[in-house]
Amino acid sequence: MTTAETTSKSHRGTIFVEDAEILEQFTHPADQFVLRVRAPRIAEVAMPGSFAHITCAPGLPMRRPLSIMRADRDEGTLDFLYKIVGEGLGRLSQRRPGDSVSVLGPIGQPFRPDPERPRSLLIGGGVGIPPMVFLAEHMAAGTDSGWQPLVLMGSEVPFPFRLTRVGEHRGLPGAASAAIEDLQAKDIVSRLASMADLDGCYRGYVTDLAAEWLSGLADKEIDEVTMFACGPTPMLEAAAAVARRFGVPCQVSLEEYMACAVGGCAGCAVAVRTDDGVAMKRVCVDGPVFDAEAVFPPAA
Amino acid sequence: MTTARNGPPPSIASSFCGLHFASPIVLLSGCVGFGEEYTRIEGFSNTDVGGVVLKGTTLEPRLGNPPHRVYETPMGMLNAIGLQNPGVEHVVSSILPALDFGETRFIANVCGSTIDDYAEVTRRFDDSPIDAIEINISCPNIKEGGVAFGNVPEMSARVVEACRKVTGKPIITKLSPNQTDIQTNARYCIEAGSDALAVINTIMGMAIDAEKRQPIIGNVQGGLSGPAIKPIALLKVHQVYQVAGPLGIPIIGQGGICDTNDALEFIVAGASAVGIGTGLFYDPLLCRTINSGIGDYLARHGLEDISGLIGSLELPGPTGAPEVC
Repeated sequence: MTTAETTSKSHRGTIFVEDAEILEQFTHPADQFVLRVRAPRIAEVAMPGSFAHITCAPGLPMRRPLSIMRADRDEGTLDFLYKIVGEGLGRLSQRRPGDSVSVLGPIGQPFRPDPERPRSLLIGGGVGIPPMVFLAEHMAAGTDSGWQPLVLMGSEVPFPFRLTRVGEHRGLPGAASAAIEDLQAKDIVSRLASMADLDGCYRGYVTDLAAEWLSGLADKEIDEVTMFACGPTPMLEAAAAVARRFGVPCQVSLEEYMACAVGGCAGCAVAVRTDDGVAMKRVCVDGPVFDAEAVFPPAA
Repeated sequence: MTTARNGPPPSIASSFCGLHFASPIVLLSGCVGFGEEYTRIEGFSNTDVGGVVLKGTTLEPRLGNPPHRVYETPMGMLNAIGLQNPGVEHVVSSILPALDFGETRFIANVCGSTIDDYAEVTRRFDDSPIDAIEINISCPNIKEGGVAFGNVPEMSARVVEACRKVTGKPIITKLSPNQTDIQTNARYCIEAGSDALAVINTIMGMAIDAEKRQPIIGNVQGGLSGPAIKPIALLKVHQVYQVAGPLGIPIIGQGGICDTNDALEFIVAGASAVGIGTGLFYDPLLCRTINSGIGDYLARHGLEDISGLIGSLELPGPTGAPEVC
């Protein structure tokens, strides 16, 4: 928190605690779940890239941070996509509609699309997919921005979405013929990548698919591109390298173990390059979105 | 023990080292940044607590430890932040002026690698609006092979003595449980000039990823906090109260407090104030709940305030001396 922010007190009361009723808990293959809760105050102000800190079950001393995949202001609901990776999310997956979970949010600095660069390349890997869905749908819902989101997703297990077959898209290989039905219905172009021979998916890393698309653009078009990425660290490093290779700005959303999630404990801090040298920045309130160059600088 | 009482409702306010505490709750160092972080949460207010202990501050800025810095363990968590802070100069010149001292009492937390460091940081805070100074004596002494100052009573006393010489503000010494005889250490710190004691700091522990055969915490070891350490903290408060109580030295009892009953247990054991840290991570609005719960308890027991409750533990046996083993 900067001194100016502290003095103005503008940060106060910007994060809400809601006892959120579970409305749905959709089960998908490979221990993936989509949780829908009613949390109208958080849904009202959540932005793509922000996350919530959730009590998974009584008796667990720590909450779990989950990226927001959808925030429906009209319905007052939030959707979270998660994969069981430990006891906390395992116990969350056992909660049923009608149960209540405490949700703290929205938290964090969201993605910052640049209107001068409307060609938005969104890259999501595994559990990093949710904020990309939120960002793409947010862009598509904008009436005057002219955003052109292209969503590329990678996974080694079946995607937790209903898929549809689509035709070729300029600059993308024809083998990538599957798209996410919900996004397609909103005229958002999406394609999938996997190393697991999933039907309709590009066989390779999602960042390779991104590079293939970028290499088909004219220089003038490249100047209109911003990349946004969320996923495992190796994928983010690869995304940062692709962005550097093509000279496009890239924003990445990071994950780290968290305790308070409101900037109090600095438990989630990571090394970030700044004008004044390396600083430890809190993923919760200074991030989770950072410039890729700041967290994955080129090797010396 | 339930007694009806007429008159005004009981007060949860108290005086701690001459400071007015609106509530017995103190927010612990390292959990709430430099006092403003939790105000991001709607419904949270610093006016709900007696004091806020700011993040540990050193003479020079520190980047702190590499990730991972926190990890959940059974009924607790490990942390190894590594005293990340911008240095005392920045804290005094840029952070303190922005705090609203009308809301609560703000307490600095002083850390150092040498006794001179401790004294210099304390001196800087003495010339600031800070209300009191907590000394974190659990830092490693780089001149004595990295042994924590707080593990040795003589070293603890030397730190307190050096800080005492440079400030007239109340000094609270935060005692470590990672030592053999906390009562002796408490006595040394009081004799060296400490006005109050905070009991306890975290207990050192570690976690291992068996698949990778690596420590999970970047610093290898970290401080264990949360409900898992509450019974240990309670015993330490009980033990320290036997030394500090007769001398009129108040104690901030801390370690795993998560609800009203936890807080009451610490007060009965001898604490004049109770520290909340990890409990806030689970329930950020915990303070109001505990304040209300303590008020209800006082009313139910016919008490005007918590003064009659502090150290009111009734021990079994004619001498009251507990069996250790």
